[in-house]
Amino acid sequence: MKNTWITGLVIIGFASVLFACSKSSGSDDTNTPPSSNDAFKTSMLTNYADNLIVPAYTDFQAKVNALENSVNNFLNAPSAGTLDAVRPVFKDVYLSFERISMPYLGPASSISANNYINTFPAVTAKIEAGIQSGAYDFTISTISDSIQGLPALDYLLFSATAVTKFSATDATNRKKYTRDVVTRIKTLSQAVLTQWNGGYRAVFVASLKTDVGSSIGLLVNQFALEMDRMKGPRIGWPFGKQSNGIVFADKCEGYYAGFSATLAVENLSSLKNYYTGGSGNGIDDYLVLLKKDQLNKDVLAQFDVAVNALKAIPDPLSAAFTNNAPVIEEAYRQVQKLLTLLKTDVASATSVQINYMDNDGD
Amino acid sequence: MAINSKINNHSIQLFNINRPVSIAPLITFRIAFGLLMFFSLLRFWWRGWVDTVYIQPQFHFTYWGFEWIKPLGGSGMHVVMAIVVISTLLIVLGLFYRVAATVFFLGFTYLELIDITTYLNHYYFISLAAFIMIWLPANCWYALDVWRKPQRQRQWVPAWTIGILRFQLAIVYVFAGLAKLNTDWLILAEPMKTWLPGRSHLPLVGKYMYEEWVAYFFSWFGALYDCFIVFFLLYRPTVRYAYLVVVIFHIATAIFFPGIGMFPYVMIAVTPIFFPASMHERILGYFPFYRQQTFIQENSVYAFHFKKIFAIAVAVYIFLQVIVPLRFLLYPDHLFWSEEGYRFSWRVMLMEKAGAAYFTVRDSSHTNYTTISNAAYLTPLQEKMMSTQPDMILKYAHFLGEQYEKKGWQKPEVYAEVYVTLNGNRSRLFIDSTVNLAAAPFSWKHYKWILPYKK
Repeated sequence: MKNTWITGLVIIGFASVLFACSKSSGSDDTNTPPSSNDAFKTSMLTNYADNLIVPAYTDFQAKVNALENSVNNFLNAPSAGTLDAVRPVFKDVYLSFERISMPYLGPASSISANNYINTFPAVTAKIEAGIQSGAYDFTISTISDSIQGLPALDYLLFSATAVTKFSATDATNRKKYTRDVVTRIKTLSQAVLTQWNGGYRAVFVASLKTDVGSSIGLLVNQFALEMDRMKGPRIGWPFGKQSNGIVFADKCEGYYAGFSATLAVENLSSLKNYYTGGSGNGIDDYLVLLKKDQLNKDVLAQFDVAVNALKAIPDPLSAAFTNNAPVIEEAYRQVQKLLTLLKTDVASATSVQINYMDNDGD
Repeated sequence: MAINSKINNHSIQLFNINRPVSIAPLITFRIAFGLLMFFSLLRFWWRGWVDTVYIQPQFHFTYWGFEWIKPLGGSGMHVVMAIVVISTLLIVLGLFYRVAATVFFLGFTYLELIDITTYLNHYYFISLAAFIMIWLPANCWYALDVWRKPQRQRQWVPAWTIGILRFQLAIVYVFAGLAKLNTDWLILAEPMKTWLPGRSHLPLVGKYMYEEWVAYFFSWFGALYDCFIVFFLLYRPTVRYAYLVVVIFHIATAIFFPGIGMFPYVMIAVTPIFFPASMHERILGYFPFYRQQTFIQENSVYAFHFKKIFAIAVAVYIFLQVIVPLRFLLYPDHLFWSEEGYRFSWRVMLMEKAGAAYFTVRDSSHTNYTTISNAAYLTPLQEKMMSTQPDMILKYAHFLGEQYEKKGWQKPEVYAEVYVTLNGNRSRLFIDSTVNLAAAPFSWKHYKWILPYKK
């Protein structure tokens, strides 16, 4: 008789085992807003959503609209003059993109928006083939990444013979392709903004965990991933870090328009802004709350060192790779230092997870 | 005199590992273990991990000496998984039990040996428990095997068959407890101090997660629990309360650290092995058809052939289980830093470690060099695990060397610049970045290219 309650206990034990097994996976958990009882995290995430991310997308959307007008003016009357009018507008769009490059999470990542909008270098041969045949599909993931977006526009509009090519009598296909590229960017950014303005903001702000797929987890991982892209595709690879020091200048971001270094500086400055949360609560304040003041100070200092190292590179970056190699080398080194801090110390201090797999403690 | 000899007899009886005891604990263990494995593997499968862990990676961190273990192509892994899942059900039913237990042990262990990345202590425990189960007569009562072959039925088994399972579980708890007796855990309350703020979303307790005393409470309670729970489980008057603590403790870990996966449930499911036989009888009484079993072999005791060999094997096994977790003592420097002798030692949730690893490959004439993009070869999980564990760094470096040799490079040299942060200490250089890892051999000896730990 006295064993009855222990039997009950065993049954409870097993019931909880079964419950755990039938529980939905981590990815679903994030969509159910938990009871919010961490005022700091809520205010930090609200700040990210309302004061940084949504305004950045709104700005990008406006800049893309302006670009559409300006590109249309050029396409309607191709000349060096109308193209010159596109140049600053295009630069504005690209700089604006650098400010939505970091929050590549939630709606943007679910439609791979950034991959479509900014996979560089563009594969020019495939673009030309698409123009020739008129048969191209911008929606095939990975494969169509490199034939569209800002890098494709960069090539189409600012490669050396652009005006001649657009002025030719058989330029109809080329014009259509260019318009399609612009429309595609517009559609993608609109889709992301619509989701943020719709239901996603609430999901983002209510996600107070640090698990995989949680807002804080996504933000912290994005810092590292964005820095990885700076170290690799933006600076390191065109500089020859993967090619025995042989420079592949045309691999860099915004190669034809020639403002790659400016883009890199904007990208990193924007990343710093995301780190600090602008004037509101950000990851920096979270680190202070976690009593990691010194780490936070060092990260902020390294952000400045790295931004300044990038600022020291003269545009066009493509020429600097060969003419100012030591300056690039220094920038690369400082970028890697910052990447290390974000990927190890900051990720560790905020105890974010990168993967859904079980883990019994590193 | 007389009293003394009686006590002596009793204690001799207690230490006689072959004295007959009720088979009931083995039966509950078999059913609990089988069911748990069944659901655990289905969960693994259903989450798509067969794909992400075994099929997608182009490179696997095999265990030293087990490089011959290779994943099978796409559907092959799913077939293996299906076979292992079926074997768990056969274990539950006690049908073709010995074959099922052998298949489960080999299948599960094969899966675990494919990639170090997914090493978990409770997977190791499952492999060990499965290995033990192969040899135990857990199908001699309340099993379809008895229904098939009634003369197989036994009501008594030698005491060591239950003792060995208790011993295995005791090893897990005690070594997990001993591992927590270190400065970081007890004095600094790390990594709890780092982890708990991540749980501030929890209802009721969430708001206390930033409090330091909570981290200390978790650390000390956890250490005491692991060190001593076994003794309360072994002592008959306290076993029921101890199990209540086990259930509460592990449900709490599951809530606070969901990333740990099945571990809490494994412990909840297997710990009843400490219950006295009468409790098992009672629990089993609720199972279908249990009371309808007919006694064919009244008061029969299961007898092992080759008793001496078994006794020696058990002694060797026990010796190894004690010695393996202690092997870290033979290595210099801080265990958590160099992780030499870290695995297979019941070190669970002990540290917060993160790393960033940058690899460079050069040919021997130093005319050709390239930096490596880890994402080109590794999954995010593999990269994360590799970045903090020296033997994985070495394995990856060798792999990179081979890759570039295939590309026609002359004797490629591989250098790694790795930064690691441990338990809230600032990241620092982890290994000697001037050492050509492609030429560094695997060894049981201390790797001199691991830089010494500094706070």
